[in-house]
This record gives sequence, C-alpha cells and structure tokens, in this order.
Amino acid sequence: MSDDIAYATIRELGTRYRKREISPVEVTRTLLERIEKLDPILHAFVTLTADRALEDARDAEVALRRGDESPLLGIPIAHKDIYLTRGIRTTGGSALFADWVPDEDSTVVRRWREAGTVMLGKLITHEFAFGIQFPGHRFPPARNPWNVDHIPGGSSSGSGAALAAGLTVGSLGSDTGGSIRGPAAFCGIAGLKPTYGRVSRAGVVTLSWTLDHTGPMARSAEDCAFMLQALAGHDPADPASAREPVPDYLAGLEGGVKGLRVGVVRDYFFEQVEAETVAAFERALGELGRLGATVRDVTIPSIHATPSFMVIMLTEAFSYHERDLRERPELYGEVLREKLMAGGLFRADEYVQAQRLRAQIREDTARALQTVDVLITPTVLGPAPAFKLVHDPDFPFAKSNMGPFNISGLPTLAIPTGFSSSGLPLSMQISGRPFDEATVLRTGHAYQRATDWHRRRPPVSA
Amino acid sequence: MADPNELTPNELTMDELRERIRVAGITVAEHRLAMVRRLLADALAPVRALDSRTIRTVEPAVKFVPEAKGDSRE
Repeated sequence: MSDDIAYATIRELGTRYRKREISPVEVTRTLLERIEKLDPILHAFVTLTADRALEDARDAEVALRRGDESPLLGIPIAHKDIYLTRGIRTTGGSALFADWVPDEDSTVVRRWREAGTVMLGKLITHEFAFGIQFPGHRFPPARNPWNVDHIPGGSSSGSGAALAAGLTVGSLGSDTGGSIRGPAAFCGIAGLKPTYGRVSRAGVVTLSWTLDHTGPMARSAEDCAFMLQALAGHDPADPASAREPVPDYLAGLEGGVKGLRVGVVRDYFFEQVEAETVAAFERALGELGRLGATVRDVTIPSIHATPSFMVIMLTEAFSYHERDLRERPELYGEVLREKLMAGGLFRADEYVQAQRLRAQIREDTARALQTVDVLITPTVLGPAPAFKLVHDPDFPFAKSNMGPFNISGLPTLAIPTGFSSSGLPLSMQISGRPFDEATVLRTGHAYQRATDWHRRRPPVSA
Repeated sequence: MADPNELTPNELTMDELRERIRVAGITVAEHRLAMVRRLLADALAPVRALDSRTIRTVEPAVKFVPEAKGDSRE
C-alpha cells in the first residue's frame, strides 16, 4: 500500500482524491513516514517541513470538497534548496547560506503553492548548484537509491534521489549544464529543462544568468507535463522571462509519434559514451520507430565548441560569488572554491568569444531542427559513478552531452531507457524547438507508454 | 595528471596560469593549480581554436523565438 501511494502518478492521485478513495493528508503522512525511514540513508532532504505539509494537505482536502479541479491539488512536492522559500531556510547547499531564511518565495514556488501542492520540504543540492559535497561538508551529499555507494547526479541531487525513492511526487530542479537531466538520468526518473525563458528564475540562487534554467523533475513525462503547466508563463520579475503563450501541455500528450521526425546527432554526442548506454539508446530509437517515428542522422557543425560553455558558466559564477570568495572563502567547499576562482581567470575577449560560439551552436542546432521535429541523444556517458571516484579532488568534469542544450536553450527532457548490467539506470534526452515542450513531452510520453523503465523501483525503496 | 611539458599550442601553460592568477588578484592553492589549469584549458580550447574572422557576423546574443512548426509530420 505504502509503495503504491508513494509511486502513484499525479493523474492517479487526482483521480483517487476525487473518488474519495484516499486523501491528501493520508498521502502526505505516508510520504513523511517514508522520508523518516529512508532519508537517514539517502540524505535527500536538507529541511523537512512536515507541519507545513500537513497544513497544505488539509487545505487541499477543503479545496477538493469544494470541487476545485486543479490537477496539482494535494500533490506532494519538494524544492531543490536553491529556490527561495518564505520563512523556510534556503541553504543553497552551502555553509554560506546555512541559516538564511528568505522573506519571500521564488516565483515558481509561489505558483506551485497557488496550484494547491503540498510542500514536503527542501532537497539538498550540490553546493551552489555546482560543487559536489566532499566528506566533512556542512551538508552530507544525497545518495542514489539504486545503489547508495553511487552519486545521484547533480546538482539537483536530492530531487533525483527523493523521486526515485518515492519520497515525493514532484520536485523543482535547476539546470545550468545538466543539473535537472543528470540526476534524472542517474536516478531513473524524468527531468525537463524547459526552453530558456519559459519558466521563471526569479528568486532562485544564480549560477550563470546565461545558462540557468528552472524546471520540473518527476517520475514520468506525463507528470512533468502536469508540473510544467503550473510553472510556465511570463514573469516580470525575471528579465529573461519570455512572453510566449503557454499551451495546454496535456492536450496533445496522447498524440503518439506516428510520422514524427527524429534526428540523431552522431557526432560529439556518442564520444566516450559507454556501450551499454549506446545499446539502450539504439533500442529506444527502435521502439520509437516501431511506434511510427522516422529516424535520421543530422549534424550540428559547431557542436565540438560545446566546452566553451564552461567559460560562460565559470565567469558568470565568479561574478555572482566574487565578494564572498574574496572575503569569506573558508565558507566554500575547497574544491568548489577553486573552481569558482577559476572563473575569475578568463579574459573579457574570451568570454565574448564563448558567447559568440554559443550563438553559432544555437544557430546550427536551429538549422538541424528545420529538418526534424526532435533531436534525441544519450543524456550522459554512462550510469552513475561511485562516490569513491568523484571524491577524488582531481576528478575532471566529464564531457557534457547536456551542455549543448543549455547553450541552445532548447527544451530537453531526460527519461530512462533501461539499466546497466550493474543495475543502474540509463537515459536519453529529447530536445525540441524553442517553446515546443509539447512535442518533447509527447515523444517522451509515447515512449513511456510502450516501456516500463520509469515504473521500476530501486532496492532502497523496499 | 597531464605533464605540463606536453602541451599543444592552444593549451594553457602553468606560467600563463600563474600570471592570470596574479592579474586577477585571487588565490589558488598550489596543490589545485593543475586542476584549475585543466579546467581553463578545456574550456578555452574551442575559443583558442576559433579564427574569429570566420564568424565576423555572429553576435554574442541569442534570441529565443518559436520557430514555424506548422504540421511538420510527414
């Protein structure tokens, strides 16, 4: 019973609430009990807001009785701890903000609250959405429910772990170089990085203004569609927020992929990718073909310039952190501190050239998307690495398959494609044209209707 | 760890890194220099490989607009 509730979809919960088969308070209590049992192992939550959750759940029950039709009513969620929450501490995963209690909510926290969600708490993030927590850090790192000796990915590490373990139904993540999609890939869940400007970043701790995206994480493409619906839309408080109208993301979700044109970029995206990941990817393409999509190879000529996005990210991160780095460096994790310091070492002309390369990649990607409807690529190079590997301070950044879509700003959904021989999830990412999240979600949903990878449960949840 | 003596022309030398650190007025621990050098070198590789004359018309700005979709299904 507990597992059935913990892994229920938004649609299932909404239906059962309205049939009076179960109540938001019962679901919330079930999840709080699971959190109490499993979080000491997983460290997904940095702050649990049990009283607030039960209060939200009771409010949802009142709203349900009055016939409120909001699809997120009574749906338990939790926020990556870089989203400002009024009256609730927002640590950024850092000792610098460890006791900071904001006096306002970020725009998207407010939007989900207004949609009737139940807030369970705040989820650990890599330090300032960038630096993995090393042993001795103020906040312990989240662990991967599929194998707790492995990382859950980051920086939305707590979000990935909590969703995979059935501790929440949805979560806010953020994605500057893959921080929604990486944890989604490593934890076997779904993560959507919407188009740049689609979802507000107001009230979210910055890593890089150019590359930061906010978006939902859930266990399926369909749940991401429900969650995006309540997030998307113009926000005057975010200078990068778009004014594009928000479509109904659920309306076309069941449309399938018959006739959909899928593009595969073979150059760059398959370099260093492990054989099991490639094999699962090819099987996924085959499944989409069986469902009626046509698959062809496409090219992005400038794709090999992708690593230049680190110039942008590091320079902007240094700009954000400079005063604290100079005045209170001891409050940063040592490895993160040196990486942020590196952002102060680029020249102005190098930053501008990196921005021009970004424009070139964006242009080339748009050209590729003139001949296909979506691009599909492996999300990451392989399954989640072990902590003992990434806790080497000299462990390098892996080649990024996700960075190209932060550069291009295109909507990209990561969903599971199977498991490695070691039992860890594998993943692909589906990218679409600007503001065409609907096609991306429809493609992911069609694949998930035909497969059951997203319904598998990790051993830690038993 | 890469041998600093085995650098391609576009890579960053340790001397150049130290000079950049001096100019920026920041502190990087000695035992982290190799990591920082690799971080900068990897990020700068495409920038240094770029002949800016080949992208004279490319501006450092990106517009995000919906592109014509119509019914693109075949």
